Amino acid sequence: MNRKWLPLLLTVPALALILFLLIYPVGDTLAESFLPLDQGWQRYVAFFSEPYNRTVILRTIKIATITTVLSLVFGFIAALFITRCPAKYRTPLLILSVFPLLTGAVVRAFAWMIILGRKGLLNNLLLNLGIVDQPVPMLFTSFSLVTGLVYLFTPLAILSLVGVLDGIEKDVLDASSSLGANPLGVFTQVILPLAVPGLIVGGVLIFTGSLAAFATARLLGGDRQAIMPTQLYEKAMVSSDWNTAGIIATVMVLVTLVAILAMGKLARRFNPATGG
Amino acid sequence: MKLAYLASALTITSSLLAAGSPALAQEKTLVVSEWGFSNEALEEHLYKPFEEKHGVKIVRETGNNPDRLNKLQIRGGVDVIFLTDAFSQVGLDAGAFAKIDRSKIPNLADVYEIARAPQGEDAGPAFTVGRYGIIYDADAVKEPITSWKDLWRSDLADRIALPGFNTSSGPLTVIIAGERVGADAFKDADAAFASLAEMKPNVVKTYTSGSELVNLFSTGEVVVGALQDFAIPAIQAAVPSAKWVPLEEGNWGIFSTANIAAKSENQDLAHAFINWRLDPEVQRNLNITTGDAAINAKTELKAEEVKYAAHGAEQIGALRKPDYQALNAAKADWERRWNEIFGN
Repeated sequence: MNRKWLPLLLTVPALALILFLLIYPVGDTLAESFLPLDQGWQRYVAFFSEPYNRTVILRTIKIATITTVLSLVFGFIAALFITRCPAKYRTPLLILSVFPLLTGAVVRAFAWMIILGRKGLLNNLLLNLGIVDQPVPMLFTSFSLVTGLVYLFTPLAILSLVGVLDGIEKDVLDASSSLGANPLGVFTQVILPLAVPGLIVGGVLIFTGSLAAFATARLLGGDRQAIMPTQLYEKAMVSSDWNTAGIIATVMVLVTLVAILAMGKLARRFNPATGG
Repeated sequence: MKLAYLASALTITSSLLAAGSPALAQEKTLVVSEWGFSNEALEEHLYKPFEEKHGVKIVRETGNNPDRLNKLQIRGGVDVIFLTDAFSQVGLDAGAFAKIDRSKIPNLADVYEIARAPQGEDAGPAFTVGRYGIIYDADAVKEPITSWKDLWRSDLADRIALPGFNTSSGPLTVIIAGERVGADAFKDADAAFASLAEMKPNVVKTYTSGSELVNLFSTGEVVVGALQDFAIPAIQAAVPSAKWVPLEEGNWGIFSTANIAAKSENQDLAHAFINWRLDPEVQRNLNITTGDAAINAKTELKAEEVKYAAHGAEQIGALRKPDYQALNAAKADWERRWNEIFGN
């Protein structure tokens, strides 16, 4: 047998697995939402002419965007702090900061229900300090949903940024200072551009993750904060409306793809290694 | 060469698996699809005695209403399915169930009229009924609640939980909202939903399961809940001052029905099983152990055994029953309107 073909041949089992377990089901779901073409088109028109459906899509993108930005900001601060600590503290700090990842999304959402509830820790504090005289409704709002998601995803941001920030040589920073950059300049012109790869990886992970965060949305958001995954579940598992469920799945895949492509493009633009 | 070994090993394994299945199928089985609550009580009072009497093995398939109905329709393999009325109507409309032969269910003669054929003579009977009503924390709500209309009271702002639209009782809230303003929700959905929208400031959350409501009560998120009576004990365990009250307009009944899958190959056995579920003694035992209201007139229960369930000809006969077919027909439109109110 020709040696050249052997490596390719060896990938066949894995390719077949991916084809049957990933590509085929996803492709089938997407195709079914379009077929037959005339009806599929009408279903999409009907879906998008429903104001509620548009609200849910925009809300999902909005919440995922806010979550991504906040998680990256918090993650950046934490990662910067960790990499600047003396070496012996770095590993324990890193482990501590990703500790929440060890519990499930449901447990973490429940924790926030206890903190943000009407009789929760935060409301008790506000009441006892006399800042408010009535419990503030915080649970089942976009605030509680974003809080839960940021808590869920900040560890991911830290993980994807620590490596990048750690890789920035101290000499580079010293050099930029000695060339006259003030601390702000060092940050915006040296550290931030060098951290772009980490920001992009973290951003993609967090954005796609919060786009699909079903459990958190269900527990901390509820009906008023319904997002695409919760709507998808309702349509598929409760109303048995597989057509609409297929449309929602397609929209989710498209939004995810667009986000990944856009962030990839951003990366090429800002990353000093690849772009200009 | 090695590949050849692997291939022959696979062949042997697969032929063994294929040979294994007929041997397993020799014992007669009846697949019952139900919710999966109160497992021990059901095993003791319902399944085991039936298995012994009929020399059959009962296989239970558990899950929530829509999941199980979906499975029955797509995959089959189910003989008897227990569902709440709204979902059994979906199955009926889709032609998923077999026509019931009432002559094979003699116990029906003793079942209260309202439960005998809630969805028509061809459809499965009800075997128990829950009530949709209101529970509230009497310590937190000063003025007692006596009517569905109280859900709109301004002193209950941000204090109420409602069942979500896609639950057994969700659409009933729409009918109730219509009645509040003297409108028939089926004829004048605009008026019913305008009335429902007025309740929105009071609604903290629409819940999808009984346990979610229990959580909302126990954490003090809500002090009033519209609910099915099966959740009363759990809520009262968490909030002892919680009170279930009779309502001026009466309670709505949520019937649990038993149907036979159209594709079932055990039609006779399935009829016998439904008959067994309606047996006066089974009804009594399950009311005591699981709180499923007895709907057989021959079932005798002492007051303390009834607990929170609806009981007796008068109470059960007074329950209100919606027009399920009209309700299913209106569902898509109502869901859209509901989402416009509670999803924004």
